Amino acid sequence: MSEEYLSQPLSLGSSSSDDKTRPNRSSGLSSATSTFATPISPYLNYDPRYLQQAQPEFIFPEGANKQRGRFELAFSQIGSSVMVGAGIGGLAGFYNGLQTTSALKQTGNLRRTQLLNHIMKQGSGTANTLGTLAVMYSAFGVLLQNVRGEDDDINTLIAGTATGLLYKSTAGLRKCAIGGGVGLGITAAYCLFQLMRTNSNGSGVKFL
Amino acid sequence: MEEYAREPCPFRIIDDCGGAFAMGCIGGGVFQAIKGFRNAPSGISKRMIGSLTAVKIRSPVIAGNFAVWGGMFSTIDCTLVHFRKKEDPWNSIISGFATGGILAARNGIPAMAGSAIIGGVLLALIEGVGILFTRLSAEQFKNPAPPIEDPAVLGEAAQPFSFGQTSQHPSQYQ
Repeated sequence: MSEEYLSQPLSLGSSSSDDKTRPNRSSGLSSATSTFATPISPYLNYDPRYLQQAQPEFIFPEGANKQRGRFELAFSQIGSSVMVGAGIGGLAGFYNGLQTTSALKQTGNLRRTQLLNHIMKQGSGTANTLGTLAVMYSAFGVLLQNVRGEDDDINTLIAGTATGLLYKSTAGLRKCAIGGGVGLGITAAYCLFQLMRTNSNGSGVKFL
Repeated sequence: MEEYAREPCPFRIIDDCGGAFAMGCIGGGVFQAIKGFRNAPSGISKRMIGSLTAVKIRSPVIAGNFAVWGGMFSTIDCTLVHFRKKEDPWNSIISGFATGGILAARNGIPAMAGSAIIGGVLLALIEGVGILFTRLSAEQFKNPAPPIEDPAVLGEAAQPFSFGQTSQHPSQYQ
C-alpha cells in the first residue's frame, strides 16, 4: 500500500462538510467520527483502509504450508484403503465361505470355523494388497511432490502409473505394462472427474 | 509428530492404521530383504531373487499385522477418550494392554496375559520417554531466574545518608 493512496480523502458516507479532513493514522477521535456518516467506535481511530477485505488472511504456524501436501494425506489414504480392502475382502470371503461350506455340507462348529477362516484369510489378503498399493502410490506421490515442488494432477498421473508398473514389475514385461496402463487409466479417470467437478462448481466451461 | 498435528478422534483411527501399515510395509520390507538375502542359496543372483521373493510375500503380511495393531489401539484409545473425557498417558497404556490381549485372544489365556503385559509395558515406555523428552525440551525454554532483590547484599549502612556530605561526618563541624 503506497502513501499516495493513503493521502487521498476517504469517500465513505457524506463528505459534504469535511472534504478537507484527511483521515490518516494520527487523526483522533473527532476526525474518525466526523469522517463517517455513522458514528463508529472511538477505538477505531485509524484508517479502515488498512483493514484488508479483498482476500482472507490466515495466520499459519511458522514454517507451515498454506495447503496440506501429500504427506499429510498419505496416512489417511493408506489407512482408508486398508480398511476398505478388509471390508470388501471380508464380505467376499464370507460369500465364498458360505458357498464352499454348503457345497461340502459342513455344519455346526466346523462350518463356523471355516467361515471365520475364509473371512480372515480373504479379508487380510485384500487389505494387504490394497494397502501396499496405497503405500506405493503415496510414496511416489510424496517423492514427486518434493522433487517437482508442486502438487498437481501430473503428480497423480505419474504416481499412479509408477505404482502399477512397480506392483507388476516381477510378473514379466507384458503384465508390467498392463499394470502401468491400469494405474494410468484409474488416475486419469480420477483427474477427469476432479476437473469436471471443479468446472461445474466454479464459473467456467463445462467439461464433457 | 506433535499433539496438535494429529487428527481429531474418530478419524485418528484411520490415520493411525495407515501410519502403522506404512511403517510395517517399509520396515518389514527392509527387514525381509536382508533376511531373504541371507537365507537364499549362494550366488548373487539367487540371493537377489530370494530377497525379492521374501519382500513380496512377507512384507504385506507384516504391514497388515501392524495395521491391525494400530487400528485396534487407536480404536480403544478413542473409546477411552470418549468415556473418560480426558486424554492422558493412561489412555495409551490401557489401550496398549487391551490391544495386546485382544489380538492374542485365540491363543489361550496365558498367551493373552503375556501379550497384554508386553503391550502395556511397551506403551508405558513410549509414553514415559515422551514425557521425559517434553520435560527436557521444556527445560530449555525456562525463563532465567529474576535477580534477587535483597538489601542485605549492599552491606551494613555505615552512616546515615544525606546530600552533599558524603565524605565528612557532620560531627566534624562542631
